[in-house]
Amino acid sequence: MIEFVEECRREWRRLGVPNPVANEMAADLTADLEEAEAEGGSPEDVLGNSAFDPRRFAAAWAAARGVTNIPAPDPQPRWRPPVAIALAVFLGVLTILASFALLVGRSSSSIAFATRRIAAVPGRIHLFAPGPGRVVLPGPLGRTIVGTGGPGISLHPLALMVFIAGIVGIVGLGLFALWYCSPWFGRRNRRPGARRTPTWN
Amino acid sequence: MGNAEGRRSQLLRGVLDLCLLAVMGEGPAYGYEMTKRLRARGLSIVGEGSIYPLLGRLERDGLVETHRAASNGGPPRKYYNLSPDGERALQGGINEWQAARDAVDGALGLVKAEVMP
Repeated sequence: MIEFVEECRREWRRLGVPNPVANEMAADLTADLEEAEAEGGSPEDVLGNSAFDPRRFAAAWAAARGVTNIPAPDPQPRWRPPVAIALAVFLGVLTILASFALLVGRSSSSIAFATRRIAAVPGRIHLFAPGPGRVVLPGPLGRTIVGTGGPGISLHPLALMVFIAGIVGIVGLGLFALWYCSPWFGRRNRRPGARRTPTWN
Repeated sequence: MGNAEGRRSQLLRGVLDLCLLAVMGEGPAYGYEMTKRLRARGLSIVGEGSIYPLLGRLERDGLVETHRAASNGGPPRKYYNLSPDGERALQGGINEWQAARDAVDGALGLVKAEVMP
């Protein structure tokens, strides 16, 4: 019984229920449970099947009284901050890569992927300045992989598009985050009765 | 059996607030006292949920008024009693229930007449 009330208290604390209100609810609950016990009853006589789920019971009671600081969970998943953070990181990395490609492309006037022949030169690391139709990368175990071939695919327009898309995405995400954190978001998305909790729980 | 329990639970959900308002009509009562009054009228909440969230909603909606008072030598308890709005809600709810019950009785009676040889 005491453990049930303590579990309720923990849940109320987690939900930001003010202490005087939580104390009042805990006192009422304790008194009712003690009375039932003194009469030879069980917690189920007082709480029904909620006797087996103190956290849910506590949350439902606090929400019904309107004393929680945390809104009731939305049953339908929507845009979540972790998703936004992951998207922001992805866009950021993409933008950095694109800007790097643009900078390199500007300094060497052309970047292309080799598409045909790849030669491995053992024992040495050759760092050639990128030129048309050639990409040089240090390979594993001291090998250098040199790719040469035809004219290849120019990365400059692609990098420019990715860079612009990344910037636009980051700015859009920032604006969305501002709107998400604003009070207008909660009001616009709150469905009628969304904060209502089950009345029989 | 499970379906019967489920149906009973669903039915209770729709009218439990009305039942609570009705037992409060007998006089102010604290939470467990209302549970006992319901049980005395043949309505047990064992197997169902607790009445506390419902009492909280009734209080928030202004249908009940509360005060604290000692209870038979025990600790002070929170007593609930009907507010004027609660009395009106109770009367309206009783009318709605009777109308719904009559309609359901009529429908069930019709089914029974069709099934009976």
